[in-house]
Amino acid sequence: MSARDRILERVREALSDRESAEHPGAFGGWRSTAAPTPVDGLVQLLEAAGGEVVLQPDVVAAAEWLASFCADFASSAVGETVPDSLRPPLPASAPDTAPLGVSLARGAVAETGSLIMDARDGRRAQLLVPTHVVFVHTRDVRATLRDALIELANDLPSAIGFHSGPSKSADLGQILVKGVHGPGRLVAVLIASVNAL
Amino acid sequence: MSFTGPKNYREEAGKTIREKPEVRASITAATRTFDAHRVHAWGQIDAERWRDWARDVKTHTLRHLDKNLEQVEERLTANGTHVHWAETADDALGVLSEVVREHGIRSVVKAKSMLSEELGVNRHLEGLGVHVRETDLGEYIIQLLGQTPSHIVGPAIHLSLDDCRRLFHERLGTPLDAEPDELAGVARDALRAEFLAADLGISGGNFLAADTGTVVLIENEGNIRLSTSLPRVHVAFVGIEKLVPRLEDVSGLLQLTARAATGQPIGNFVSLIQGPRKNDELDGPEEVHVVLVDNGRTKLLADDAAWEALRCVRCGACLNICPVYRQTGGHAYGWTYSGPIGAIIAPGMLGLEEAMPLPFASSLCGACTDVCPVRIPIPELLVHWREQATEQGLTPPSETLGLKTYTKLAQSPELFGAASSVLRHVPLALGGRALPVVGGWMQERSAPKSSKKSFLQMWKEGIE
Repeated sequence: MSARDRILERVREALSDRESAEHPGAFGGWRSTAAPTPVDGLVQLLEAAGGEVVLQPDVVAAAEWLASFCADFASSAVGETVPDSLRPPLPASAPDTAPLGVSLARGAVAETGSLIMDARDGRRAQLLVPTHVVFVHTRDVRATLRDALIELANDLPSAIGFHSGPSKSADLGQILVKGVHGPGRLVAVLIASVNAL
Repeated sequence: MSFTGPKNYREEAGKTIREKPEVRASITAATRTFDAHRVHAWGQIDAERWRDWARDVKTHTLRHLDKNLEQVEERLTANGTHVHWAETADDALGVLSEVVREHGIRSVVKAKSMLSEELGVNRHLEGLGVHVRETDLGEYIIQLLGQTPSHIVGPAIHLSLDDCRRLFHERLGTPLDAEPDELAGVARDALRAEFLAADLGISGGNFLAADTGTVVLIENEGNIRLSTSLPRVHVAFVGIEKLVPRLEDVSGLLQLTARAATGQPIGNFVSLIQGPRKNDELDGPEEVHVVLVDNGRTKLLADDAAWEALRCVRCGACLNICPVYRQTGGHAYGWTYSGPIGAIIAPGMLGLEEAMPLPFASSLCGACTDVCPVRIPIPELLVHWREQATEQGLTPPSETLGLKTYTKLAQSPELFGAASSVLRHVPLALGGRALPVVGGWMQERSAPKSSKKSFLQMWKEGIE
């Protein structure tokens, strides 16, 4: 008998005379207060967690914003799925040396203030850079984490990261520091879509 | 340093309080802050309803644990992940040895994982001649000090900023008055080099979704994402109680865990890991192993009362609120899991005799169960283990005798009246310490003065 079978046998034995227990159904996200729209909720939570948020009316305006933001950086590492129109006008460098990373989020979650980062965009550019700029289209903002997870379950890469603020720690005598391992500066650029929420 | 076991709890707790008042100060301050954040975060939601839901999901999952385990094995395998089953810590470490040997692993980066502490992963790797580095800032600090975690969520909360300054000064050459940002920057640089050089990343798992085969991890620093993304091999140790039936169930559990632990809506980084890097992906590990660990969990599951403790999501809320934990922090408990949750899972996982006297390390005030996000009846389970300890003769004989005598007396009005009359005439201040139960109580308290009349007499005469 394998370890697997012995563990399963012990589990079944333990459960043999336990009363049944129903699944309670979908998580309702019950809250006392709610932001007026999902985009408002996303902005509120990202900012509360120490992130920066920039709202742009369209891709052209977002590209212009990026060009001026890039003035402070010498090079960048750019995610695989970032379209040409949103690539920074900077020389490329490897994620472990780049001062700036630019990514496209697969979506976002209003309920938790999270940007959904897909492994297909490249993980290093999302994690090793000190400053991380993330584009997200407002049409890809989901109201709840449950909505987002149900949608993601249909098409999962090797890994998904939810980024909901800059890297932080309070392990040094309970004092908050930013940028411990991951990006210490997170800038979410929300691009309004046609038929925006 | 490794855990010495709970048996010296009383001695160690006393020593901490007497000899290290600064530990008590740090722990109390940190846990009060954690708890204040939880109170605030729960105020924003319908916490009672969230907790009912979370309790029911976890209970349902445990009730069907066999099916959930079979399903997750199938899904993980389909995702290209290697699945291992470990009955004991030795089995789990054996899997690790095999991975180290097969891949010629020389250096390891570790994400914070209480299960890896339970298993003794670091000591094992060092024994294999492998360099292992803890990458969570708090874990890194205690690894440099050769200590174990003192709290499930904040492993270094027993240390003050000055303790950290002294350590970094000695080990990393920073000035003694360095600001926290400078210390963090130096740690970041030191650890970044280790991330880039490591061959293997080790993590735990907060949740494991059966329908998609997804390991879910929650954190704030980004070190878990790095540990599971940069090295070419990733090994995740996951306790079998971490299963959830569906990925969508993680939505409520993640949020409730974060709100209970640190008061955040969610951790700043959450990883959903399905398996190794796919063909259309630029980076990520080439090989992923998930080790499903029992190590006493099926024993706990088999206990008709204590199985409820397996719902635990390791948020640390019960530690933060516990008036007993707050005095000493976790080290005195002598085991990976401290505080109220440690005291109820230790007897099930280690065996009651081994876990003594942890079920008694509580005032039974009940604060822990009021804050538990999955509604584990912690005080009831403490009493459950205490009853078993008495039945098995693991408590001092005088205490057992005293309680048995009291039971007899309390069941007979005549005997009770006679005994209380006798007790009123015993000079407690002189002879009280020789009595069972009362003697223990009187070790650190002065004796009350007996009243001239018994309550019963006063009652009959009419109390004003």
